[in-house]
Amino acid sequence: MDDGTRQVNGERGLVLRISDLCKSYVMGEVTVDALRHVSLDFFHGELAVLLGASGSGKSTLLNIVGGLDVPSSGKLFFHGKEITAATEAELTDYRRRSIGFVFQFYNLISSLTALENVQLVTEISEKPMPAEEALALVGLGNRLNHFPAQLSGGEQQRVAIARAVAKRPELLLCDEPTGALDFQTGKLVLEALEKVNREIGTTTLVITHNVSIAGMADRVIHLSSGEVTEDLRNASRLSPSELVW
Amino acid sequence: MLRRKLFRDLMHLKGQMLAVAAVVACGISVFVSMSSVRYSLEASRQQYYSRYRFADVFMQVKRAPEFYRESVGGIPGVASVTTRVIADVTLDVPGLDEPATGRIVSIPEYRGMAGLNDVFIRKGRYIEAGKSDEVIASKPFMEANGLVPGDRVGAVINGRKKELVIVGMGLSPEYIYEVQPGSFFPDNRRFGIFWMGRRSLESALDMSGSFNDLSLALTHGTSEKDILMQLDHLFRPYGSLGAYGRSEQLSDRFISDEIKQVGMQITILPSIFLGVAVFLLNIVLRRIVTTQRDQIAVLKAMGYSNEDIGFHYLGFAMVPTTVGSVIGTSLGAWLGRGLMNIYGDFYNFAELVYYFRIEDVALSVLLSFIAALFGAWSAFRKAVEMPPAEAMRPDTPVTYRPGIFQRESIRKKIPVPIRIIVRNLERRPLKAALTVIMIALSVAILVAGRYTYDVTDRMMLVEFSEKHREDVTIVFRDPMPFSVRYNIASLDGVLEHEYYREEPVRISFGHRSRRQSIKGVESAEGLQRLVDKDNRQVVLPTGGIVLTKTLADILGARPGDMLNVDFQQGRQLRRQVMLAGTIDEMLGLSAYMNLRDLDRLAGDGGALNAAYLRIDSSKAGGLYSKFKEMPGISGIMMLKALRKSFDELIAKSMNTSTVILTSFACILAFSVVYNGARISLSERARELTSLRVLGLSTREVSIILLGEQALLTGIAIPLGFLFGIGLSVLLSLALSSELYRMPLVFSAYNFIFAFVVIIIVATVSGLAVRRRLVRLDLVAVLKTRE
Ligand SMILES: Nc1ncnc2c1ncn2[C@@H]1O[C@H](COP(=O)(O)OP(=O)(O)OP(=O)(O)O)[C@@H](O)[C@H]1O
Ligand SMILES: [Mg+2]
Repeated sequence: MDDGTRQVNGERGLVLRISDLCKSYVMGEVTVDALRHVSLDFFHGELAVLLGASGSGKSTLLNIVGGLDVPSSGKLFFHGKEITAATEAELTDYRRRSIGFVFQFYNLISSLTALENVQLVTEISEKPMPAEEALALVGLGNRLNHFPAQLSGGEQQRVAIARAVAKRPELLLCDEPTGALDFQTGKLVLEALEKVNREIGTTTLVITHNVSIAGMADRVIHLSSGEVTEDLRNASRLSPSELVW
Repeated sequence: MLRRKLFRDLMHLKGQMLAVAAVVACGISVFVSMSSVRYSLEASRQQYYSRYRFADVFMQVKRAPEFYRESVGGIPGVASVTTRVIADVTLDVPGLDEPATGRIVSIPEYRGMAGLNDVFIRKGRYIEAGKSDEVIASKPFMEANGLVPGDRVGAVINGRKKELVIVGMGLSPEYIYEVQPGSFFPDNRRFGIFWMGRRSLESALDMSGSFNDLSLALTHGTSEKDILMQLDHLFRPYGSLGAYGRSEQLSDRFISDEIKQVGMQITILPSIFLGVAVFLLNIVLRRIVTTQRDQIAVLKAMGYSNEDIGFHYLGFAMVPTTVGSVIGTSLGAWLGRGLMNIYGDFYNFAELVYYFRIEDVALSVLLSFIAALFGAWSAFRKAVEMPPAEAMRPDTPVTYRPGIFQRESIRKKIPVPIRIIVRNLERRPLKAALTVIMIALSVAILVAGRYTYDVTDRMMLVEFSEKHREDVTIVFRDPMPFSVRYNIASLDGVLEHEYYREEPVRISFGHRSRRQSIKGVESAEGLQRLVDKDNRQVVLPTGGIVLTKTLADILGARPGDMLNVDFQQGRQLRRQVMLAGTIDEMLGLSAYMNLRDLDRLAGDGGALNAAYLRIDSSKAGGLYSKFKEMPGISGIMMLKALRKSFDELIAKSMNTSTVILTSFACILAFSVVYNGARISLSERARELTSLRVLGLSTREVSIILLGEQALLTGIAIPLGFLFGIGLSVLLSLALSSELYRMPLVFSAYNFIFAFVVIIIVATVSGLAVRRRLVRLDLVAVLKTRE
């Protein structure tokens, strides 16, 4: 990631530009507008939290940003390159090089050990960090050879984070990463996320239902019925350990 | 409502369900067609035999006075007696350069007097009394030569040339399989049966008041063995060749063997297909129940009973089985008809009726439903027994082990996708093993299907070029002295000539005995050689006798044993001879001796019965016309013509059966591979989607999914080769008889063929699954928990 590519529209550090994005699902006579004219810019190293009621379109937005889904209209630029116009192969490449995903249900490969789950990604990336290092980053340096079934939910989620960040993605997308976890474990996971964001400078988007998580973010975005209703910047970031909920 | 769910689910799984239905259909169609063919052959034979009064006991004698008919008729247990005069003659057929051979069988002058072994008139009419040149000719001979009633054929009967007028086309239960004596292969152009008035034939042969062929019908419950013994005793002074029952009657023997072979096939193939259907239903249904566990829970919570739910899942087995049964039954009916047509080419029935029986259909459908229940059973139990609360929870997590990648050093070298594949296989070794076995079975069917091809090739090779190098065989009407060779040698165009003696005897060892003729050969290294079914030449030792291994086994004799030999003709001596060795021949039962040894054993001055000739093809025409006129010849065989005729006959049936077996094996392989991949896809959709999200391309993900199938197929192919060899051994054991033994021969082509077919099938099913993989919705899969 040399600086040249980050000069987009003269704005320093612009990683992602979402411009007038709409997504609607037509089901027979009913049309559901999952996203309505969403426009957002994300910058290098930013940690943003996406809040909103169930069904407000958070996952839809994240999936489009990650190249898993296509919008009905509007455009998406990643370092100035239009992702919404990419071919299937380019999308695969985009996911492979630039995006890290973390989901609510971990989605680890059950037949691979923690280390191998991470290696799965490092094997196909260009300048990955060693898989061991990625696992150490999330505090699992001593559980390398455990299979997912032998790890707790929080540990599995941290493996998922290690897997997502091992390729040094520019964009880390997390859809309710603590959704299936209790408070203590959730904190460990958030700490891992925060640490990655701080140490590697990955732009991070976190979806959550938990308003108190917003305290650790640079920026808090509210979605409601597919529209951005609020986009606030925190004056200062709290560390996850300081969060209370 | 459940019915609607069943319908939707089935539509959703239609590929897999069709695959199951196809396997069931294959099994049913083989079962139905083979059973109905067996029944049809048996029933047609039965009707033919009783309608045209096929005899129970047969005997040939040199010449016996007609009044013996009365004495035989008086034997208790004999229902009726027919005496006949039969002669083999050389024929001059219009349009045929080579001489042909005819067997002339006497019939009563008046139709109303017809006794046993009656003739069915297909075309034309019966002979007219008093017209000595009228004959009825056999249908295969007339058709092969394009003859119609009214045509004439020249014949040399008892040294005199005679013009025969064909007035009718006939068929007889005695010659359903019509081959020249001493041959196994029909050559209908050059051998035919003729029926002629008894009076005319007697006078042509100077056999007035005598007969040389006896047929008996026995009353129900009579011991055939007793009658045979009495006949042998009675006719010994008249040069009897020994009486025998239907089981040794050549034509009946062929048909009985054929029916038995069809019977074997009823069990082998359908069991394989139904076995595979059980396996497929088992894995498919278990998968359905696993993926629908939450639905089962909800349904149970809503108050549906365990039975409702169990039967709902049984429906998944019953629907494809029903579809398969319907298709299989129709296909089987059609195939059966086709097979009967092929049998019609080999066997000449007055009426070959195709019976399609509801019993066979019912039985096969019943069997396949039992199989379906069997296959669905574990899924049914799982659905019924699952408590609603547990059903809500995900399936118990599976545990993986580092397995063969325990050692870091090995692990490092193996790419992650391969590790995923191997660990998945390690986790469910039983399922993997079963899949491999099922694919291997398809390979085995392909190999075994072509095995008969290789056997036929081998038979052609051994019988028509390794064993025999002559061009023509001429059989003398009467035994000839040694000097006949000077006459033959003087014929213009004869390059090599070699002679043999054929002596009818009864060979016995201990209490077992057998009618058999001993062939005394001048040399076993000249025009004729002794070659076994593995195409190895066998030397003929001097001073002893060599028997076909099957014959030695029948007698219970081993090399070194002394056998009793009762000569049936001439001085009718009882002698002893040592069993010098055995030869494992493909066809029939034979006994070989050195000519000089046989002459000495027979205790006469020696005799020759036939000659093998190699001829100069440029002078063949002249030789043929000489043979046509020559007195003293009762039969002529042309090796090349025989081969060609048999080739043509067999080619059609071989191609048909290969096409059927190949298609069935393809369906089997496709069903197994496709279902295996579909189930892996369903089990691992989530995992594969995660991989796609992580940035693996569709290609890379396909490799993981299909790599597993490819690996299984890769293991299955060599295993299938082994199974195929095993299945072939099974076939060769099941199909071997006194007439026919199958060697174990496998051409490389056979395996290459199976290999290529399986690769194509696996690729096609792989591509079909890949299409689904590409269409997987990345977002939808991630929304759900495992
Ligand atoms: N495949 C689909 N077909 C039709 N409608 C859909 C589909 N996926 C999502 N929607 C609709 O789009 C809207 C936004 O869904 P989305 O999953 O983005 O919500 P969300 O904000 O992530 O909710 P939650 O917090 O519950 O995860 C919802 O109203 C949903 O019903
Ligand atoms: Mg969501």
